Amino acid sequence: MSAPLLELRALAKSFGGARALRGVDFDLQAGEVHALLGENGAGKSTLIKIVTGAHQPDSGTIAIAGQVVEQLSPAASHELGIACIYQQPALFPELTVAENIALRLEPSAALRRIDWRTRRNIAGRLLAQIGAEISPETAVRKLSMPEQQLVEIACALGAGARIVIMDEPTASLTQQEQHLLYDVVRDLRASGVGVIYISHRLEEIFSLADRVTVLRDGESVGTHRVSDINEAQLIQMMVGREMTHIYPPSEAAPGAVALALRGVGCAESGVRDVSFEVRTGEIFGLAGLVGAGRTELARVLFGLTPLDAGEIQLDGKKIAPSSPADAVAHGIAYVPEDRRHHGVVLELPIAHNMTMAIHRRIFSGAWLRFGAERALALDFIRALAVKCRGPEAPAASLSGGNQQKVSLARWLATKPRLLILDEPTQGVDVGAKSEIHRIIRDLAKDGLAVILISSDLPEIIGMSDRIGVMRGGTLTAILPGNSDPHAVIAAALGQNGRGAAA
Amino acid sequence: MAATEQARRPAWKTLLFSYEALLLLVLVAEWLFFYFAGTTMNRRGVVVGFGTLDRQFDILRHSCEIGLLAVALTPVIITGGIDLSVGSLLGLCAILFGKFWHDGGLTIPTAIALTLVIGAAAGGLNAALITALRLPPLIVTLGTYSLFRGLAEAITHGAITYTNFPSAFLFLGQERWLGLPAQAWVSLPIGVAIWMLVHRMTFGRSFRAIGFSPDGARYAGLPVNRRLALVYVIAGVVSAVAAIIYTARLGQAKADAGTGYELFAITAVVLGGTSIFGGTGTVHGTMIGVAAIAVLKNGLACLPVVMRMNAAEEMSGLLTGALLLVALTAGVLPKIISELRARFHLGAKT
Amino acid sequence: MRHYFRELSVAAVLLVLLAALAIFAPAFYQPQPLLSLATREAPTLIVACGMALVIIARQIDISVGSQFSVCSVSAALLAAMHWPLALVLPASVAIGAVLGAINGALIAGLGLPSIVVTLATMVTLRQGLNMLRQGEWVSLPDNVQWFGLSQTVGQWLLVAAALALLVALGLAMRHLAGGRFVYAVGSDAEAARLAGIRPRLGTFFIFVFMGALTGLAAMMNIIQSPQVQPLSGVGLELKVIAAVVVGGVAISGGRGNLWGAFAGLLLLACIAPALTHLRIEAYWEKAIQGAIILLAVVADGLRSRKGDA
Repeated sequence: MSAPLLELRALAKSFGGARALRGVDFDLQAGEVHALLGENGAGKSTLIKIVTGAHQPDSGTIAIAGQVVEQLSPAASHELGIACIYQQPALFPELTVAENIALRLEPSAALRRIDWRTRRNIAGRLLAQIGAEISPETAVRKLSMPEQQLVEIACALGAGARIVIMDEPTASLTQQEQHLLYDVVRDLRASGVGVIYISHRLEEIFSLADRVTVLRDGESVGTHRVSDINEAQLIQMMVGREMTHIYPPSEAAPGAVALALRGVGCAESGVRDVSFEVRTGEIFGLAGLVGAGRTELARVLFGLTPLDAGEIQLDGKKIAPSSPADAVAHGIAYVPEDRRHHGVVLELPIAHNMTMAIHRRIFSGAWLRFGAERALALDFIRALAVKCRGPEAPAASLSGGNQQKVSLARWLATKPRLLILDEPTQGVDVGAKSEIHRIIRDLAKDGLAVILISSDLPEIIGMSDRIGVMRGGTLTAILPGNSDPHAVIAAALGQNGRGAAA
Repeated sequence: MAATEQARRPAWKTLLFSYEALLLLVLVAEWLFFYFAGTTMNRRGVVVGFGTLDRQFDILRHSCEIGLLAVALTPVIITGGIDLSVGSLLGLCAILFGKFWHDGGLTIPTAIALTLVIGAAAGGLNAALITALRLPPLIVTLGTYSLFRGLAEAITHGAITYTNFPSAFLFLGQERWLGLPAQAWVSLPIGVAIWMLVHRMTFGRSFRAIGFSPDGARYAGLPVNRRLALVYVIAGVVSAVAAIIYTARLGQAKADAGTGYELFAITAVVLGGTSIFGGTGTVHGTMIGVAAIAVLKNGLACLPVVMRMNAAEEMSGLLTGALLLVALTAGVLPKIISELRARFHLGAKT
Repeated sequence: MRHYFRELSVAAVLLVLLAALAIFAPAFYQPQPLLSLATREAPTLIVACGMALVIIARQIDISVGSQFSVCSVSAALLAAMHWPLALVLPASVAIGAVLGAINGALIAGLGLPSIVVTLATMVTLRQGLNMLRQGEWVSLPDNVQWFGLSQTVGQWLLVAAALALLVALGLAMRHLAGGRFVYAVGSDAEAARLAGIRPRLGTFFIFVFMGALTGLAAMMNIIQSPQVQPLSGVGLELKVIAAVVVGGVAISGGRGNLWGAFAGLLLLACIAPALTHLRIEAYWEKAIQGAIILLAVVADGLRSRKGDA
């Protein structure tokens, strides 16, 4: 066999203290579709970023077509024929499809005359090649996300990429669009391109890929031919760790129903027909893949996107939060997923961040009371063990875990009835992680209703009293806490237990 | 460790090393320079020039209008916005005030009240376009900049000047009361009120949060649109107050009142340490910025060299613009230097 | 033609205005006043072209009025010193380019916001000029006015030159790669960087180009009269920004074109004479201008909220 198109050996990368990759081996042959599988946070995106040159590895080697590459910059990666189709395409929204494609393909001399007809023809040909029914004349801002992805693929195709990385390309596609995309991938393979295909859909991997590599905790745990392995074995490889992390035991004595959803839907964000109840003192876990609609549901509950179907009851009263301020007034608190942009205001001091949602309560008459604020901040800093210089330190000076505690403190200060936690331990070091788990437990014990959204499977199983599994914008299953991880993964992947049982 | 040291640094030390303190130092140095270079004794042995008390009152009197606009613009810029229409609104309000009194036969207090309402409504127009339609403040206020000035010109046919205001009203702009120029007694409380709003009330917190991160503010449940509306309405009302003081000082209301004031006001705000990107800034910084510009303008007029050139006004404008550029550049210099340093080190390593 | 909906709607408004004039004030259509109007607006058109580029690249330049004054006075002084016009013209363009380069260096080099930088350079240039010149007018030698040609020929020449430049630039923006880079940078600077364009360098050159065009416009201005006054550029920046925005160039960058800016400028330029001919008092001009800007912005805002017609 000739040298592989791409060969990664013992690749390692750390961010601050967190080890994202601990030694990944991976190879890609020409004319093969190699699937990369792993839970969120297993290191897939770091791996992609290294291959596309966005990050430099700490150690390990990268070889392309047998040549070891010392320094891989984005430009060099591009030159070597590596193209990546991201979930969020980096296109020019104001320009047409044809132009977007042309800007990637044409030389960058400024005084070159543009041949619009050729541009249109090339774009039309590339789009036709991947079976996309998009007019080259449309402005990209008018395209849907999947359509923009197809444009990205057309760009990669036109650039003559030898290695194409696809990051969950079908996550937001319709059935028909998916099949078109599968054909595109097969065509790419037939023409000798190596495709790294990242997906959570097992059926897709089995029908499309030649080989599959599973990543877990930043390590490659195995590479197999798809024909040599079945779904159950794959799930086992993904999950297959002993519980390294001790979760605090549940002391739940769930009380009355705090939150009840009946057929909740939001057309804008694709949430439809969600019904469940959360009791006081209960931790209700929401599992599912990225894009399954969990964050979208939380946003509806918090008044960020409009509720347009079904009803929400809080403590038996029907509510329809119209804005975050309204939701807060109803006693709903939401610790968002994007900590740096939504959870805290990085430039502001810790104390300001903590009191941001309780201006009315703590500052009567809108006058700031620095003493009361400082006391409250110090209380929370002590109670949540926030490691910081003091309440005046800006949130940006904290580590991820401590920022998360500040975000949490802001919402605990509102004394909510319902606390929604969205990926509360993502990007948080191990120590802070178990502290946050203990805090969540204590809150539930004190009678708070908690919705815990997490992509960390052991976390959701270890923490939740019940687990709701979402898929495609709706709730597909409710499992008891401490369920078998395989069952949760299977439900999230839409296997209905069938694959796991096989 | 440096970090803990910094944490335990007492408040007075933080204050001492702040940008505002530095600016205050510059202001004092500036004032002393003009005091020594711009004060002379005339043949009869009377002190004339910059050092006289009258001159100090003059500085205060002249800084009132720009000062009001600048102080009102500070919260706007802290939220990450801008209001280019304040100077034009000053003109419009001055004209309307004159018209209410002269043609409408209203008493001065009624006319003033009505003018303030107009100011609030004009600010409300900016606010509505910016919040409800989510249009960029720059272009909205550029439009109202043109609109307000245009209305002022249309109302006066570009020619009418309202004069002959009663002396009781002119007292507000030309006389002293309890030792200070009368308009200072109006402007200072407004300055203090806005200072309170920004530094001692929850509103200021919201302004900063919105300026740093509009999304972050929204996720914290802050009423982002209401707060944004507030800052633009305040800017409108304060422009109306400035218009009345302006009219009282000059004793006349003309359509070109306050032309170009928005530039001086923005300059004072940025010079005072408020970031044009939003988030950081102080009202007292703005006040020092206004004072620095006013002292510069008045001081230059007292320097014999400049007096011979007869170009104090222009020179102070030139220096103000240059000062703004220097302040801006100084603001980003540390970042640029660290970037260059990083690039250099990276280059040396590879 | 859906592509040019925004530009066509401005053109439609303009046509309605012209039609109204034809019916109610046919006196508007007299060749000589129309030619004078066109000549007066020719320099403005040049500056508006540059401003369209700047705004498409998601920047703004409010110092063009001051640049215009500085270039006018400098060029006039050179001409008064009996420099040949063939040298005065490039000198004026070069002065403008240098002034633009200062803006560009501060904005692209240091990453400062264009609104404040150009505000500062606007004040600095204007006051500097006033300080040095004390409002003094510059008298020009006879051969400068209309390049020493007859007035009518000179006027036609100016209008033709401005239109030629508009067409050339308009086509370049569409058919040269460099023109498309301006759109790319304004549409998404980060994506432009990934596509191998250098947004900072591009931004710098756009400001240089803006300055050069202003220098050219200043030259077209000074040959129109026997004397040059130092305040000739006051308010020019707002006029051209208004024209560009009314013409459908989005202040958020990446969208719009020169044809729209041209239509916007014609619309705004016709208001003043239209008012006179329709016997509306001319003082309303500025207010109407402001209202048109707001209307255009609001229309754009509503359109983008509805998710595009």
